[in-house]
Amino acid sequence: MIAATPRDANYPPRVLALEHPPDPLWIDGDPAALATRAVAIVGTRRMTAYGERVARELASACASAGVVVVSGFAQGVDSAAHRGALDAGGRTVAVLGEGIALFVATVRGRRRPLVPRVRASGALVSQYAPNFCAQPWTFVRRNATIAALAEAVVVIEAGERSGALITAQDARRLGRPLFAIPGPIDSSASVGTNALIASGQARALVGADALLEGLGPFVRAAIGPPADAVLEALAAGPLDFDALARRAGRGRAATETALATHLLDGSVVMTRDGMYRRA
Amino acid sequence: MATVVAPRETARSVARVAACALWGLESAMVTVEADVANGLPHFTIVGMPDAAVSEARERVRAAIRNSRFEFPLRRVVVNLAPAERRKEGTGFDLAIALGVLRATGQITRDTDALCLGELALDGTLRPVRGVMARVRRAALAGVSTAFVARENAAEAAALGVEAFGFASLRDVVEHVEGRARQAPSPAPAPAARPPHAVDLADIGGHETPKRALEIAAAGGHSLLLVGPPGTGKTLLARAIASLLPALDPDEAIVASAVHSVAGLIDPERPLLGARPFRAPHHTASHLALVGGGSPPRPGEVSLAHGGALFLDELAEFSPSVLETLREPLEEGAVTISRAGTAATYPARFTLVAAMNPCPCGHAGDPAEQCTCLPDAIDRYHARLSGPLLDRIDLRVHVPRIAYEELREDGREPSRAVRERVVAARERMRARLDGTGRRCNAELTAAEVRRHCRLASEAETLAAEAMRGRRLSARGFHRVMRVARTLADIAGRDDILTADLAFALLLRAQA
Repeated sequence: MIAATPRDANYPPRVLALEHPPDPLWIDGDPAALATRAVAIVGTRRMTAYGERVARELASACASAGVVVVSGFAQGVDSAAHRGALDAGGRTVAVLGEGIALFVATVRGRRRPLVPRVRASGALVSQYAPNFCAQPWTFVRRNATIAALAEAVVVIEAGERSGALITAQDARRLGRPLFAIPGPIDSSASVGTNALIASGQARALVGADALLEGLGPFVRAAIGPPADAVLEALAAGPLDFDALARRAGRGRAATETALATHLLDGSVVMTRDGMYRRA
Repeated sequence: MATVVAPRETARSVARVAACALWGLESAMVTVEADVANGLPHFTIVGMPDAAVSEARERVRAAIRNSRFEFPLRRVVVNLAPAERRKEGTGFDLAIALGVLRATGQITRDTDALCLGELALDGTLRPVRGVMARVRRAALAGVSTAFVARENAAEAAALGVEAFGFASLRDVVEHVEGRARQAPSPAPAPAARPPHAVDLADIGGHETPKRALEIAAAGGHSLLLVGPPGTGKTLLARAIASLLPALDPDEAIVASAVHSVAGLIDPERPLLGARPFRAPHHTASHLALVGGGSPPRPGEVSLAHGGALFLDELAEFSPSVLETLREPLEEGAVTISRAGTAATYPARFTLVAAMNPCPCGHAGDPAEQCTCLPDAIDRYHARLSGPLLDRIDLRVHVPRIAYEELREDGREPSRAVRERVVAARERMRARLDGTGRRCNAELTAAEVRRHCRLASEAETLAAEAMRGRRLSARGFHRVMRVARTLADIAGRDDILTADLAFALLLRAQA
């Protein structure tokens, strides 16, 4: 772990755009990952299955195009973005709202196995000393660092008062292109993102291409529309079988066989709740 | 009829009376020997009696005196043979009293009847638990007559032995002496099938959950219902009681014997008429769920033998309690070991479990926003271990349904579904005849290969299932058992693609 000051050569240049750049910035991993092309993908911790899939696929598309995915390593959308980038073999940077050593020692659950992978591919970053304990305000300041580290910011899902909206405001203040993923208008996890789009503060992002084109010439890694009626029906989120059969509109028997085939080839999985979702 | 042995002398020094000891459902014949000898007045019971058996001395002494007999002022020793195993409970009182009376010549004839009952101090005969299991053991040992308390008479008579119910010690003696003979109790009719609390016709929508319920009832497959609160999971689970076929006569005896040990049967109609449906609360302890204690009592898994065990709010059960379900789910029985005793109870049941998708209950619910963090949901699901979930064949989501669906007409009543279930069970029984197993959930791996024949059109899907790595060999066998049940419900010998596909849909990845 190194502590980089704004005068150091390995200090990430984009962070200097902040009014008060963190001094020092603690970096555990490869400092070079902070200077290359990067997109921030952030969102609520209470994500829906739709949010998880979009975050993962978008991160994966960025990773395939060689773009570093920056996020905050929170539960929910942040972790989904990190995981998406790692699973696609890409690089990712996690900006923490507490000391790196404390976080690494205390993190539990499904984020724990991600820690070494994030460190190996990119870096863990914090503006707080290694054993600094998280406070409500440390996350607010961390969000500004995320916006500064990235060249563009995408909000996947955000509720009415989500912290991701703070990152969005930081992005606007820093002049970073801001994108939001449109969601169902009656989903509380999309209230904040839909409001960003409606008020004109963010551009509606409807595919990875629009994001990557803004950054320059990249390999295209589009999220294509599915060809199959079952996959199509599951695009908006997981469904139970009865709802799926109604939505797919191909009769129960045909849907059963098609779904069984998808389950076997891994394109659809059963959730722990006994519903079906796209993998 | 009690065989009457001509007395060789008025008083025999050693009298013998048949009784039966019970450990759980396991039982053994016990000979109660009574010896009256000259010496200082003294009364001991040997042969590893527990506290309740030792206290029989006081009850027997008072009961004999208060029945206008004489308790000998001599040295009385009662031995419970075989003496090597611990005897529990109060069921030996009657046999001990009859032994003492015979040894002192107050009864002049021997009896070879099984004598079971607790004595009150005034000589009244009181009922005991577990009469059915003990009479069954006695019948196997060749004893054809039973003397029990009046309240236990129906229970004893249900097994085909000649059972006499008595009100008091005095009545038993009058009967043995032939002075006032009683008529044997008639065999009781099985208890009436209770009216079902929930009929499938009461539940709107939920086509797939209902179908899963039918599969579970027909093949004995375990089922997990997951869904937000208030969507009808509990109602669906309770409806399984209306789908299960009637008990076979031999199943009825075993199931009733378990209930008899637990003291849970109607004394007048001791034979269960319907398959049991047990729904323990999620605060249930190990003891309550799998049985145990001293003396060991059957738990809910055994009381559900032959029927269904419903665990509502599955994730709220203590994880260590849930782990104890693995043995009965696999073996169909539980063995409870204690210092000195081990009791084995049957526990072959159809597991129906229900749970919320997350702690707040609203994950994936379109009507309400879930307030749980992802890690909290993970922890909630982690309470159910992989090995336990692996033993659940069917997992189905019970969604919140639209009002229009609730009003839909033409719902199938339980009676119609039960007819299909009964027919499917008939096919399974014919197939498994002579193996002691009854339904598809119990098929062994070899039997899966032998009986689960695929129609040629289904081979493609089966090959795909086996080639992919998403299904273990054991998982594939479980899918095949469910597919076999689907074909049995449809009355087909061969498994079609549709059967296999539906079985695959309901199989959760562990």
